[in-house]
Amino acid sequence: MKQTLVTGNEAAAWGARLVQPNYIPTFPITPQTECIETLAQWISDGEMSGTYFDRMESEHSVMSAAVGAAAVGARVFTATSSQGLLLMHEVLYIASGMRLPIVMATISRGLSSPVTLWSDHNDFLDQRDSGWLMLHAENNQEVLDMVLQAYRIAEDPRVLLPIMVNMDGYVLSFTDEPITIPTAGMVKEFLPEYTPKHTIAKDRPITVGPPVLDEYTLFRAQNHVAARNALEVMEEVMVDFDRIFGRRYHLVDEFMLEDAELVLVTQGSMSTTAKAAIMEMREEEDIKVGLLRLRVIRPWPASAIAAALKNAKAVAVIDRNVAPGKGGIMLPEIVETLYHLDRRPLVSSFIVGLGGNSQTEHKVKEITRKLIVDLETGRPRVEWNDMNNNDNEGL
Amino acid sequence: MYKIRIHGRGGQGAKKAAKMVGMAAFNRGKQVQDFALYGAERRGAPVMSFVRIDDTPILERGNIDDPDVVLVLDRTLVDLINVADGLTENGMLIVNSGHEIAIDTLATVKHVDATSIALETIGKPIFNTTMLGALAKLTGIISIDALNWAIEEELAHYPKELVQANKDAVRKCYEVAQ
Repeated sequence: MKQTLVTGNEAAAWGARLVQPNYIPTFPITPQTECIETLAQWISDGEMSGTYFDRMESEHSVMSAAVGAAAVGARVFTATSSQGLLLMHEVLYIASGMRLPIVMATISRGLSSPVTLWSDHNDFLDQRDSGWLMLHAENNQEVLDMVLQAYRIAEDPRVLLPIMVNMDGYVLSFTDEPITIPTAGMVKEFLPEYTPKHTIAKDRPITVGPPVLDEYTLFRAQNHVAARNALEVMEEVMVDFDRIFGRRYHLVDEFMLEDAELVLVTQGSMSTTAKAAIMEMREEEDIKVGLLRLRVIRPWPASAIAAALKNAKAVAVIDRNVAPGKGGIMLPEIVETLYHLDRRPLVSSFIVGLGGNSQTEHKVKEITRKLIVDLETGRPRVEWNDMNNNDNEGL
Repeated sequence: MYKIRIHGRGGQGAKKAAKMVGMAAFNRGKQVQDFALYGAERRGAPVMSFVRIDDTPILERGNIDDPDVVLVLDRTLVDLINVADGLTENGMLIVNSGHEIAIDTLATVKHVDATSIALETIGKPIFNTTMLGALAKLTGIISIDALNWAIEEELAHYPKELVQANKDAVRKCYEVAQ
């Protein structure tokens, strides 16, 4: 199949175009705007005849409209970024609690203040406990593929939960890369017609999201079980995706881990640069280093992560985010997962790439060398990159 | 891998220029990556765009700190930022200027008056496409034919006369660049 040059924003839009959702409520925000502009253009050109495009007055309204449409059985797509995602935050819980399989592309951008337009993962990870399923893409091909997979996962009767597909702002959203765009026929074979299980209809009235008392825990537990079910569903979906599209994905992305003593744990687009650095370090310096990329954040694929890290001697959790007063957000998640292993690796924490600071091969090699030192001394470190050494004192 | 960095100001088409170079190379079977880096999207603010071109899939991401060639669309940027940053003695700096500007770099510095060419051919000071003629001539990384194709694709929504004027400007700049 022919390759086409598209940005990450366009790749997400292509995913939606191939799925042909019934409803797309939108509000523009950098760096997401190009995604919804692209969809608006296609809809205006008659390329998505069954889709109703809505421009709302805020992201809070976007998610509220998405909830309403999904509750009456519409297939919904939307996209947002950064402050916009935060403004949706309240309604995200309503969407997951009502078990509505909404698909949303999130284009990561750091949060104010001070203002940044560039990428880090705090906006996305801030939604970690919202009950949404969360996927994170490494490149533009994966953005498109994940949007297609997201509908299958979200709409599965064992799951019925909303889902986010995240990409890094600028580094993917505004970067042209060659990707393969599948045919409508292939997507039709992969994704069946959506037949919603519980919807509000004129002739079949139901109540959704009512006040409850003792049952509240039961509803939250059901949300939890449904999210856990998604792991099994994802595995099935990825096998089926490979059968039709010829691209095999897994719950976690393992890169050169077979004999790796040192493992870098990464998320998103920085993983590409890190893989290039790893190949060079293996070839030129004979360093046994590998990479584990987290592609599924919720549900947490604990078994897959533990299996991938069971032979590691030292792990660098590279967080492109920070929880002030605690540290990297993924660090405790990884450490908790490793705690139950018979032999636990040393775990160092690196906070990198905040507000779009670029992650070069050189920086990845530096992290790896520091990890070697940590393994020798037996003392894990916490380090913030992209600052002068003096500024790292006391962190 | 061949790496191009373009410096311009918001509104001068640095992003579009990178996209057209990327498309031209992609059309000739190359692996490419192009993107733009900008802050608050306002006209006049310094912006950068980037293109990577290779025969194999590109694993590098983010800003280009070690370019092979740098294109400066607006010569007033030379006083504001180090446009030659990361260029080695094997590199090249191509500046849109009617006169020579002293720039502290080991790289080869070329000047081409793209603004005048654009005013003559397009009738407006739109010199992003024009400068690509100099890039094609002085580096050989893309051909005029491939550039013409990219211009037609990228400007498909514009009047035919404007598309032709852009192609003429690229051709003229190609001829005079040295």
